[in-house]
Amino acid sequence: MAIAKAERLMNLALCLLGTRRPLSKRELRESIEAYLEANSEDAFSRMFERDKDDLRELGLVIETVENLDGETGYLARRDSNRLPPITLDAEEAAALGLAAKVWQQARLAGAASGALQKLRAAGLPEDVDPYEAHGALEPRIPVHEAAFEPLMLACRDRRPVVFDYRKATAAHPEPRHVEPWALECWRGHWYLAGWDRDRGAERVFRLSRITGRVRSRSGQFTAPVPDVVTVRETVASWAGETADRSALIRLRSGSGYPLRAKATAVRELADGWDELEIPYGHGLDAWLVEFGPDVVVLEPAELRADVVDRLRAVAKG
Amino acid sequence: MAGKPVRPVNAIDQTRRMLSLVTYLKERPGARVEDVARAFGITEDELVSDLDVLPMCGTSFRGGDLLDIDTDGERIWWHNPAALGEETAEPLRLAADEATALLVAARAVATLPGLREGDRQALLRATAKVEAAAGETAGASSRLSVTFESEGGVFADVDRAIAERRRLWIRYYSPARDELTEREIDPIRLVSVGHTYVEAWCRRSEARRTFRLDRVAEIKILDEPSAPPEIELRDLSEALVQPAAEDPEVVVEVGPGGRWVAEYYPHDSADELPDGGLRITLRTPDPASLRRLALRLGRDGRIVAPRDLADSARQAAREALAAYDGVEAQGAHGGLAVTTDGTTGGSEP
Repeated sequence: MAIAKAERLMNLALCLLGTRRPLSKRELRESIEAYLEANSEDAFSRMFERDKDDLRELGLVIETVENLDGETGYLARRDSNRLPPITLDAEEAAALGLAAKVWQQARLAGAASGALQKLRAAGLPEDVDPYEAHGALEPRIPVHEAAFEPLMLACRDRRPVVFDYRKATAAHPEPRHVEPWALECWRGHWYLAGWDRDRGAERVFRLSRITGRVRSRSGQFTAPVPDVVTVRETVASWAGETADRSALIRLRSGSGYPLRAKATAVRELADGWDELEIPYGHGLDAWLVEFGPDVVVLEPAELRADVVDRLRAVAKG
Repeated sequence: MAGKPVRPVNAIDQTRRMLSLVTYLKERPGARVEDVARAFGITEDELVSDLDVLPMCGTSFRGGDLLDIDTDGERIWWHNPAALGEETAEPLRLAADEATALLVAARAVATLPGLREGDRQALLRATAKVEAAAGETAGASSRLSVTFESEGGVFADVDRAIAERRRLWIRYYSPARDELTEREIDPIRLVSVGHTYVEAWCRRSEARRTFRLDRVAEIKILDEPSAPPEIELRDLSEALVQPAAEDPEVVVEVGPGGRWVAEYYPHDSADELPDGGLRITLRTPDPASLRRLALRLGRDGRIVAPRDLADSARQAAREALAAYDGVEAQGAHGGLAVTTDGTTGGSEP
């Protein structure tokens, strides 16, 4: 039976961590049963390279050293792999316990548990159940978008990418070449901010509109990465949260609670209607139309026209 | 441990765990299987499968210094802890992904409006310590961020009611009917998934209900004790609101500008149309609640079925237009400048 990959990785890690001098590939092959069993030198080499990459993903710093005979050797020095001293009290431990359960994406969920396990091994207090400590609070970070993992890695490693993207109102997707800077989750949806190479400008993309695979491109970033990347401001303005004007509407009494909650002024009219002043941002027309005959726009004329326009489209059906 | 989903075996995660496990076990001869599994957040079965692998591992296969670790199912014994040098068993530094996963989550939770101040402070202190311990690998964590939306005041009241096991009275807004209703609820837990919700037993409908905190118009903590029946908590990896198989079907056809409907509404199918639009089939217990959607879509889409839903939207639009009689509406549809590539054409909720 083939030897499980975890066993092979574990043996390689322990060999590299346990040695004081660099070990050659030959020595490693002789020390680890799974490598001995490899069918050919080639098969062993491929396996070894992949395993080294995997261990590096796990945080192991593996050095490559040329020895006196000109042979390449490998070792994981303790000094570069040791967790610095960290002391956390029971409350802090409970807080991290809660945080480690938040990810619903497999890779980051595994990484978060892994971090907590390393801290446990380093003496993190374990007598507090985080659920007890925090009442019944369950924050979850949803990740439904397939593009998330490749983009997360590309942001981490600062690798340019290309993907097909369908703009909100476009019939067909088109390829976009992007230097990805940061990912942000807002109201349960993921967004990417980065440098759009074709447009020569910063852009924000919604991950759910990426169609097909995210492919890596070789080479470096060409545009400087800003110190602070703000995705939320851009997205909030799409959602109509950044209003720079105000509108005057009539609203039937007792209806439209969310409009009332946003209103800056409310005046009760005599005939079963109220008059409200509300912030006027992007998308307000579509929102007002939802309330059908319970809303009448008074001002400005532009908003009134947009709403009438939308209502006519529905009335024609 | 009961209730934990069975995770597929992932060699990377297992290796990571076993490396921490040897450090942990070295300090704790005779550790109990149950305690170790809990400390590592894994099932006892997962731990036992790690304990099956560890005796095959060592610093040198040929040297015969494999780890002599075994368990009687209750306690774990390591007979040759010296097989790993003193240094080999030291705690390992955090990997970039590990630091990122923990830090991004901790920062996100710490910004939840309404979180208890003591919890927030503990999160911030822990975050600072982990950042310091992670060193430069913590840097990449700034490339991911998450915001949870919550209503601070409502959150704090619900949190208190859960802790003190008390019933709540709320005035709650239902967008489907554009109305506020009063209910008494027995809160069970707070769930943040983008927005924050309280999952509760609703005394009015005698059923489990999920309420979004930003739709709670008013809230009072009652003196009566909360007594929700024992119910199985739903799996949070799925959408909070799941349509039932017996719910009526609604068919919506949208143009390219209405494709967002498929992103916002759980649906059974979304078929591409030749014009770049979609034909979306979804189910809802209350099709009348989709009148709002039909109105919002405007020229970007229409309800195909059921017929009376389409009619009611048309009727509502006509009634609304009556109020504008005599107004000469401009034909040009302005105000929807598309300046950014994710723009929605102003149509998304």
